[in-house]
Amino acid sequence: MTPHDDEDMTATDRMLEAARRTPPDVPARLMARVLEDADALQPAIAPAMAPHPALWRRIAAGIGGWQGVGGLVAATCAGIWIGVSPPAAIPDAGAYLLGYEMGATASSTAELTSFGWDLDEG
Amino acid sequence: MPPDALSTVTDDALLVLYANGDPSAARVLTTRLLPRVFAQARRMLGDDSEAEDVAQESMLRLWRIAPEWRQGEAQVTTWLYKVCANLCTDRLRKRRGVALEEVSEPADPAPTAVQRMQDRSRSDALQTALNALPDRQRQAVVLRHIEGLANPEIAAVMDISPRAVESLTARGKRALAALLAGRRAELGYEDDTP
Repeated sequence: MTPHDDEDMTATDRMLEAARRTPPDVPARLMARVLEDADALQPAIAPAMAPHPALWRRIAAGIGGWQGVGGLVAATCAGIWIGVSPPAAIPDAGAYLLGYEMGATASSTAELTSFGWDLDEG
Repeated sequence: MPPDALSTVTDDALLVLYANGDPSAARVLTTRLLPRVFAQARRMLGDDSEAEDVAQESMLRLWRIAPEWRQGEAQVTTWLYKVCANLCTDRLRKRRGVALEEVSEPADPAPTAVQRMQDRSRSDALQTALNALPDRQRQAVVLRHIEGLANPEIAAVMDISPRAVESLTARGKRALAALLAGRRAELGYEDDTP
């Protein structure tokens, strides 16, 4: 490489460096055009998803709303009460099935099951 | 999200935000990327009006690809430089046969009248010399020495190996120096201190 080549290369380096230091200004109209494009092509914001109803709300809706739930609660309470303290007139089905106190059960229910027979027999 | 809050967000994350409908992401991306593609197109084409069209088209393609962009797979800048380079190449191919003198020269403002004239002359001379380079050499020189990209990134933009980039930039710069050699005195480089 000759001294002239070196000088040419140095001058070229300096011109390239100057070009790098002074990037062209972006014309305002170009900026506006690009932003218009961006606006026109931007996908719409996805609509916010409605929150998924809670499980108990879905169950309540399935059985008829609050009225249905009220009826179910009342029936459940009655069932529990009957189970805990059955009326004397109702046979104890559990004991009957297990074979306990068969005689007592049969005799205590005889008045109901034989209603009217005793009258006929005089 | 306000634009200030997005200033530290990466380009690909901004692109995802744009695709998700964030209204500020496009403005931040445009402010960040448009000057780079515009400068690249201007140096490649040597024509402001065509450079504007190419820069706009490059950004348009970015907006279109946004919904499919996968974070971390590619650099947004590399992708954009590549799109811009391809669009410039297409235009240069169509333009074959147009005399170099007919290509309008970019204008650069400078402080004083004399300085302004000299800077303008140098910028014009550089652009004229760049225009005279083969397309691939010009692209490599612009990306390496004006846009300041590293060789691997230029290789990705131009779809060639980093060694080929080295070779192209070296040959391009030598050719540029040869083209400018006869104009050193005229451009004030004989008695200028570096």
